[in-house]
Amino acid sequence: MENPLSLWHFYLRNKRKVIPVIGILALAILGVVVTDSLLASARETAYATYGSYQKLILVAPRATRDQDLSNPLQTSLSHLRDVQTQLDTLDGPGGISSYYNAVVALPAQVRAQLPLVQQLQIDAGNARYYAARLRGDLVPLADLIVRVQRLQAEQAAFTQLEQKLAQNPTDPTPLLAYIQQHQTVLRSVLPDTAQIGRLQAAATSASADAGGLQRSLTNMGRDTAALNNAGAAISNLPVPPSPANAIDQFKQALDGLTSSLGSFEAPQPGLDQLQAASARIAGAAFVRRDAYSNLDINLLAGNAQFDLYGVDQSGMQRLLNLYGDRLVAGRLPKANVNEIAISEEVARARNVGVGGRVGNNIDELDRLPDAFTVTGILQGPTRIGVIPLEYMTQHYLFERRYQGLVVVPQAGQEQQVHDQMVRLIGNQPFRLFDWAYIKAKIDSLIANLDTINRFLIILVTIVLSLVVGLLNNLFFRQRMNEFGLLAAVGYSRWALIMRVAWESLGVTLAAWGLGVGLGIAVLTWFNHIFIIPHGLLMNVFDWNLLITHTLPIPLMVFVFGMGTVAWQLLRLDPISIIERRD
Amino acid sequence: MLRAQDLVLDYRSGHSVAHAVNTVSLAVEGGSFIGLIGPSGSGKSSLMYLLSGLKRPTRGNVIFEGQEYSSMSMPGLMSLRRHRFGFVFQQHFLINYLSALENVMVGAVKRNHETAAYAQELLRRVGLSDKMRKRPYELSMGERQRVAVARAMVHKPAVVFADEPTASLDQSTGHEVISLLAEYRSQGSGSVVVVTHDPNMLTGADRVLQMRDGQLN
Repeated sequence: MENPLSLWHFYLRNKRKVIPVIGILALAILGVVVTDSLLASARETAYATYGSYQKLILVAPRATRDQDLSNPLQTSLSHLRDVQTQLDTLDGPGGISSYYNAVVALPAQVRAQLPLVQQLQIDAGNARYYAARLRGDLVPLADLIVRVQRLQAEQAAFTQLEQKLAQNPTDPTPLLAYIQQHQTVLRSVLPDTAQIGRLQAAATSASADAGGLQRSLTNMGRDTAALNNAGAAISNLPVPPSPANAIDQFKQALDGLTSSLGSFEAPQPGLDQLQAASARIAGAAFVRRDAYSNLDINLLAGNAQFDLYGVDQSGMQRLLNLYGDRLVAGRLPKANVNEIAISEEVARARNVGVGGRVGNNIDELDRLPDAFTVTGILQGPTRIGVIPLEYMTQHYLFERRYQGLVVVPQAGQEQQVHDQMVRLIGNQPFRLFDWAYIKAKIDSLIANLDTINRFLIILVTIVLSLVVGLLNNLFFRQRMNEFGLLAAVGYSRWALIMRVAWESLGVTLAAWGLGVGLGIAVLTWFNHIFIIPHGLLMNVFDWNLLITHTLPIPLMVFVFGMGTVAWQLLRLDPISIIERRD
Repeated sequence: MLRAQDLVLDYRSGHSVAHAVNTVSLAVEGGSFIGLIGPSGSGKSSLMYLLSGLKRPTRGNVIFEGQEYSSMSMPGLMSLRRHRFGFVFQQHFLINYLSALENVMVGAVKRNHETAAYAQELLRRVGLSDKMRKRPYELSMGERQRVAVARAMVHKPAVVFADEPTASLDQSTGHEVISLLAEYRSQGSGSVVVVTHDPNMLTGADRVLQMRDGQLN
């Protein structure tokens, strides 16, 4: 015969009351397990996404004033308008064409007597030719200047965005606003090398034609003066007014613009020296030029930019060796082709395989321009992506201008190399990205979610403690006769308190075990249907999380529920219960 | 075996003092059946609480088997009630989620097969051999009180205290319950002290003590 006051007996006979309480608590614990695990998954995936920084330092250029084309562009454009107006006048009625026609129409007798007239005809023809060419140059040149001006406006907005994000890295609002307002414009005006080349060619051609026109008009003046000196005045043929000043200023502006364009196209000044000096650092395993770019991927807690390293062929292999990653499908990208190799998790996140395509044409949040074909899938402990340095710098102005360096410290030399790099950079317009910086940024972003999550857990714990405590008290009142009798027949109050404590502890522990078990089941299922296919990370059996994050709920519920009941049991008077006549 | 000497139990309310028990002395010999009768409020239940150690007196002393209550600690008194006394109250105070047999076992000090067999024997004796597995809400009021009587006897106490055990029962059922208590005494298992306001229930008692205004007549 088992003890009728045993815990098992109690649970078995009161299952209709005990099971709902266990259910409520277990569901709450399940909720905590799931939300905490998703949050941990977001953090772990973010760490893994930027895990490559654990072994390397990225040196990236800062924006500088020498990239500011706005003044040369605006000056060229305003002079271009002046020249356009004056060319219209020069080519209009009584202009250069009329003058040329009048010279051609001079009687053959006059022309034969005066060879100078022949020269004037040639110079007037040249002037008319250059004026027509220049007019033809100005239309596309104006268009190109306007397009590049728009690019400059985007750069200004980008710099402003960078400053805002630097001031408050946790606030994504400026980034979202920027992307929403500028993505279409960015895509339409971001010039490649050819476009800048066209602007340069147009500026050079316009400058040359302006020079030719200038020379021809000067020669015409000289020819007219020579004819007058020879006594053959052709006063009925007035030389059209020369726009010499306007053309001079225009030429000057175009020369300034050409010089700025040259600077704009080149990598950051000082990059070569910095690369050479970095390679001499004792603890640096290797240093490579990097035309880095990004792919947009989802991290559960929001989108993130997965870093791609634009290195040369040997650099790609060295990066793979550094991280212990290997090719499991396809091959590494070729030097002069728009190809990319990425880790399998990133490929899953982007739902691509070998032959698939990624890039700004596919997903407008990708910084990687156009569309790149995936040629290789990588597998290993660290997620990385590689693209060819040669292709990036030969085809994309932005990537050529914003080349950086990949510096890989030897194991254990990370801090020393970092310090040396800081010293080498000094006041130069470069900045460093390393694991400490990246991790701090991730933690800062996740910290807000952590705070919200902690608040929710505390709220759930308090509400549950109150609800279960209340249920416990109601149940206790229903059992008042039982406790009154037991006290009367000789059970001590302490024994009664211990009895209720064990009952409550059993319920809360059962709920805890059930909640954690359900949590593991739900997470395992979710891991297989969502987390793994999307290239995310989740540790289903994170015991630290499963135990420490969920334990406060049963503990608080137990302490609160037990506390109120124990208080009543301590004040229990069996006689008042015995004498109750209800 | 159980002696009370000059017991006084006062209830204070502000400046007034009510003497629930006023200088009562009595002795309960082993194997005796004592009846305590008196009108409502006469102090008979209070006297029973004092005798069983459920309350401590304002003055006076109770001695059980040579041990004075006044020299015993609260746990000591609890242990005494648990091991040496049995209780039957006006209400049955059965635990709802336990069967009749399990309710009887609640009173057991040692829970083993012998005790369980004795509990079953007790239920047979009180006429509930076919209702041992029934829950209290499946039994009549008289049956519930009989289970309560069995519970009070299962650990073979030296004294069974019964406080108005028949108050909520009809006449014949009340007599049955009293008979069970008397039988316990007659089998030489222990003494029985029954508190009641109905003298008809005490026909088999060795002694009937009358209480009025807190004093024994």
